[in-house]
Amino acid sequence: MSKISDSLNLKNIVCPFCSLHCDDLEIDVHDNKLYVKSNVPKSCAFKYEKLNLPKFKDMVTTVKGKPCEPKKAYQYSRQLIKKSKETVLLNSSSDVNVTREVLSAASKVNAIVDHVNSSIFLKNISIYQRRGYMATSLTEIKNKSDVIIVFSNNLFETYPRLMEKFLATKNSFSVNSKKKEIYVIGKKVKNTKDCNIRDKRITYIDFNNRNITKLINSFISKKNESSISNKIFNKLLASIETSKYLSVLWATSEFDSYKECDEIIYNISAYVVSLNKTSRAACLSLSGNDGDVSFSQTLGWMTGFPSRIKFTGNFFEYDRDANNAIQLINSGNSDLVIHLNPISEKKLVLNKKNKNIVIGRPCTKFNIEPDVFISCGIPGIDFKGHIFRTDNVVSLPLTSLRMSHNRSTQEILREILK
Amino acid sequence: MTTLCLKNGQIFDPINKIFNKKKDIYIKDGKIVEKLNEKISETINCKNKIIMPGAIDLHTHIGGGKVNIARLMLQEFHNNSDRDYDLTADFIPSTLKTGLQYIKMGYTSCFEPAVLPINARQSHSEMADTPFIDKGGYALLGNDDFLLDLISRGAHQSEINDYVAFILKATQCIGIKVVNPGGINAFKFNQRALNVDENSVRYKITPRKIVRLLARAVYELGVPHPLHVHCSNLGVPGNFKSTIETIKAAEGLPVHITHIQFHSYGNNGDRNFSSASAEITDYINKIPNLTCDVGQVLFGQTATMSGDSMKQHANHSHAHPDKWLCMDIECEAGCGVVPFKYTDQSFVNALQWAIGLETFLLTEDPDKIFLTTDHPNGAPFTSYPHLIKLLMDKSFRDNLLDQLSVDISKHTILKDIKREYTLSEIATMTRSAPARILGLRNKGSLSKEADADITIYDSNIKDVEEMFASPTHVIKDGVVVVKDGEIKNYTWGKTQVVKPEYDATIEKKLKKYFDKYHTIALPNYSISNDEMSEVIGSDINEVKCNRKRIS
Repeated sequence: MSKISDSLNLKNIVCPFCSLHCDDLEIDVHDNKLYVKSNVPKSCAFKYEKLNLPKFKDMVTTVKGKPCEPKKAYQYSRQLIKKSKETVLLNSSSDVNVTREVLSAASKVNAIVDHVNSSIFLKNISIYQRRGYMATSLTEIKNKSDVIIVFSNNLFETYPRLMEKFLATKNSFSVNSKKKEIYVIGKKVKNTKDCNIRDKRITYIDFNNRNITKLINSFISKKNESSISNKIFNKLLASIETSKYLSVLWATSEFDSYKECDEIIYNISAYVVSLNKTSRAACLSLSGNDGDVSFSQTLGWMTGFPSRIKFTGNFFEYDRDANNAIQLINSGNSDLVIHLNPISEKKLVLNKKNKNIVIGRPCTKFNIEPDVFISCGIPGIDFKGHIFRTDNVVSLPLTSLRMSHNRSTQEILREILK
Repeated sequence: MTTLCLKNGQIFDPINKIFNKKKDIYIKDGKIVEKLNEKISETINCKNKIIMPGAIDLHTHIGGGKVNIARLMLQEFHNNSDRDYDLTADFIPSTLKTGLQYIKMGYTSCFEPAVLPINARQSHSEMADTPFIDKGGYALLGNDDFLLDLISRGAHQSEINDYVAFILKATQCIGIKVVNPGGINAFKFNQRALNVDENSVRYKITPRKIVRLLARAVYELGVPHPLHVHCSNLGVPGNFKSTIETIKAAEGLPVHITHIQFHSYGNNGDRNFSSASAEITDYINKIPNLTCDVGQVLFGQTATMSGDSMKQHANHSHAHPDKWLCMDIECEAGCGVVPFKYTDQSFVNALQWAIGLETFLLTEDPDKIFLTTDHPNGAPFTSYPHLIKLLMDKSFRDNLLDQLSVDISKHTILKDIKREYTLSEIATMTRSAPARILGLRNKGSLSKEADADITIYDSNIKDVEEMFASPTHVIKDGVVVVKDGEIKNYTWGKTQVVKPEYDATIEKKLKKYFDKYHTIALPNYSISNDEMSEVIGSDINEVKCNRKRIS
C-alpha cells in the first residue's frame, strides 16, 4: 500500500468492477488519488476516478440515517444481531476473502448465507447438474475460436471491453485473427461513446433472444424457422458447420426475466455438446459482475454448495428454496439482513419489514435508509484480495492502491460479531 | 514452549530402519528431539501402541477447479446422515471435511496432483482452507501452447528447464505433472486420440518427446519429485503397451507413473479386457528410477476428475448419474468431471479392482509403490484403511474376490499371490517412501529434528482396517490434534514448494507471449510468497532441491 504522500505509477492492476477483471490497467497514484492512464473506456476509468472524491474515501457510519461514531454503529449492530431470531447475510458483491469471512460470521450467529444473484448463477450451475456441458475460457476463445456467437442485448454496456480485449482481438495464437467470424445476436446494438462496435469481423443480428430455442432448432434442422433473414441465417449456419472451434457466449442474467430462460440455456448447451461429436465447440456463460463467481466458488469448496445455506450450531444445511434470502425478506420471515457490498455500485434494495445493516463501499445507494450503515474499503482499491473472472477458472490478485480510512469488510464483520 | 513425551511405544520408522522396536519419542517446539532437559508438558503412555510418522498422500485431488465443479455438480450426494462436520459426500468433501477426515486417519501431508498454473490461486486457496495437513501441488505442463510451441521450434533443453523452473516458482508448486502428454492440447484441435509415438496435428510432436524433455528438465533442475506422469490412453484396453513406452520415454531418468492401475490393461480374452499387471510390475521391479502410485478402484459411487479432457470426453457416456462437464482451459490444459459408480457386477470394474491389488502385491519394493486411490477417481481416500486390510490379509482379500457378483477368477492371478504386506511395508509405502520421493527431508521420519507429525495406533485392535481408521492420537507439528478420535486442537499446515534456479530471460519471452496472446498479464499469473501468506492464507515451506542445476 502506498503512503498518502507517495506518487506512484502502478501497472497491471486488476479491475474489481466487472467480471472480466481486466488486469492491464496502468494507474497513477498522486496524493492518494487514482488516475487511470490506460486507454480504456471512459466508463471503466470513471469507476476509479470518482473514488477520489472525499465522499468515496471517508469512513461513514450511520445509525437510522444519522451519522455517528463507528463505535455506536458497531454497538447498535451487535444489539440487532443479539435480538435477531433469523439473520440473513446477503452478499451483493465480494471477493474470495470477504466470502470466507461471511461464512465464518454466519456460523457464529446461525445465519443464512445467500447472494443477490443466486437465482441466476444457480441456473448456470444447473446445466451441468442435469446434463453434459462443454465449457471454455477467455484465452481459449481468443486464441482458438474461429467462430464466436454471442447472444446478448447489452454486451457493450455490461462488458465494455469483452470485444476489444477477448473476442475481436488483434492477435490469436492458433487461428488467423483477421478471419475470425463473430456474431452478436440480440437487440440492435447502438454505438456507444466508449466502444468501437465497427469491426469487419463482427456481424450484428437483430433478434429477439426469447426465441433462441427456435433458432437452435433451425440450426439442427438446417431449415430457417427463425425471424432472421435466410441470407444471414445461411451465413451463420455455414460458419457454424465449417468452424474448427466454435464458442458460444451468453449472459444468463439477460434471460433471467424470460420464462424460457432455463430452456434457452439448456438448448444452447445441448446443441454445443452435440457439435462435439465431430468438431470442437464450447460454451461460456458470462456472469460474476457482482462477485458471484467468487462467492459461489468459495462456498463450493467450503460447504459443497454454491449458496443458500443455513448454519445451526456447528452444522449447516442447504436448501435452495427455504434459504432463498430474497423470498425470506419479502415474506417477512427474516428479522435482520446484513448486506455486504464492498465492490458494486448498484443500488441496494432493502426491505422495511426487517432490520438492515449495510456494510458497503462508501456512497452505497439504497432505496430506504438502513438501520446501520458502515462504510468499508473496496477490495482492489483499498485492500488486497483475489477475485474470480467470469470464466470460473482464472482468479486474479487484487491490490491495495491507496491508504484507506475505511476498514475491510472482514474487520467490520469481526467487530460487530464480538 | 511445548514438550511432549511418547513413552514405551512400538516404533515403525523405515527411514531409520526401525521396525517394531520399543522406544521413547521426545518432542519440543514441533520437532522431534533426542532428549528433553526441561520439564515435559505432557506424556502419552504408548504401551501397546504403534507409533509411525504421519502418513503422506502424494496423489489426492483435494483442491482446484475440477474438484469444486464436482462438489457443485453432485449436490444430491451431499447427504451425510451422520451429520458430522458437514453434509458433503466422502468422495467430494468440503475443504474442512477433507482436513478432518485425513487427520483422523493419521495423514498429515497431502498433495494435489493437478494444479493448472492459471488455476493455482484457487487450488492453493482451497488447500489453505483445509485444516491440519501440510499440502502442496504439482503444476500441469505438457499441454500448454507455450511449451508445445517451444518444443516444436526445437528449443534447447536449457530453455525448457528455465520455463519449468519459472512455472514452479510462479505457481508455488512442489512438482511437475504431465497429463496425457500433448493429448489434451490435441483434443482442442479435434484429435480424439494420441499415442506415444504419434504426432499431434498442430505441433507435430509426440508424447514421447514431451515426456523425455520434461523428465530431463525436472531432473536437471534438481527438483526432488520426478516428473509425475499420467500416461496416454487412460482406461483404454491394451494401454499397458503405451504405459511401458511412456516409461521408456524417460530414458532412465527418474519418473513417477501415477494411478498406474488405470494404465495396466491388456486387451485379451473374449471381452477384450484383461490384466497386464504382470507386465507392468515387471518394469517397476527392474527399473531403478521408476516409482508409481496405484489408483486403486473400490466399489461404490464416486466422481472421476482429471485434466485429461480428451479421455474424459470420450468416456462421458459412462457417466453415472448421467451428467458431466469438460472444459478447455486457458491454452494450458483442460478438465473433465464425469461421475462414476464402480460396481462388482461389472466385469471391467471387478477386474480393475483386481488389477490394482495385483499391482500392489507384485511390486517387490514398497519404496517404489504408493498407496493411493487417486482420490476420488478410484475411490475416496477414506477407504485407505480398507485397502490396507486387503493388502495385509490374504484371506480377507480372497473372500472378497469370491463374493464378487461377477466371476473374474479366470482373469486374475490374485488368489495365487500369497503375499501379505507387513506393518513395516505399510509404514514404508505411506510414510518414508513418499517423503523421500517428494524431497521432504523432515517428514515421514521419526529422526531427530524431523517435524513432529506422528500417528499412534492401538495395537490391541486386531482388525487392521479398524486400527488404521482410528488412531488413538495424531500429532501435527508437535501439537496433539486428535485424541481418541476427537479433535483437540485446530492447526493449519504449510504449503510445501520447490524453487529451482532459472535464467530470468525466459520471463522476457513469456512476457511477449502473454502480452500478445494471453488475457492476463504475466505479473498477475505469478503468486508471490506474500500473496500466499497474506491473501491466500497459507505460509510456505521451501523444500531444497537435490542439487544445483545441471546446465
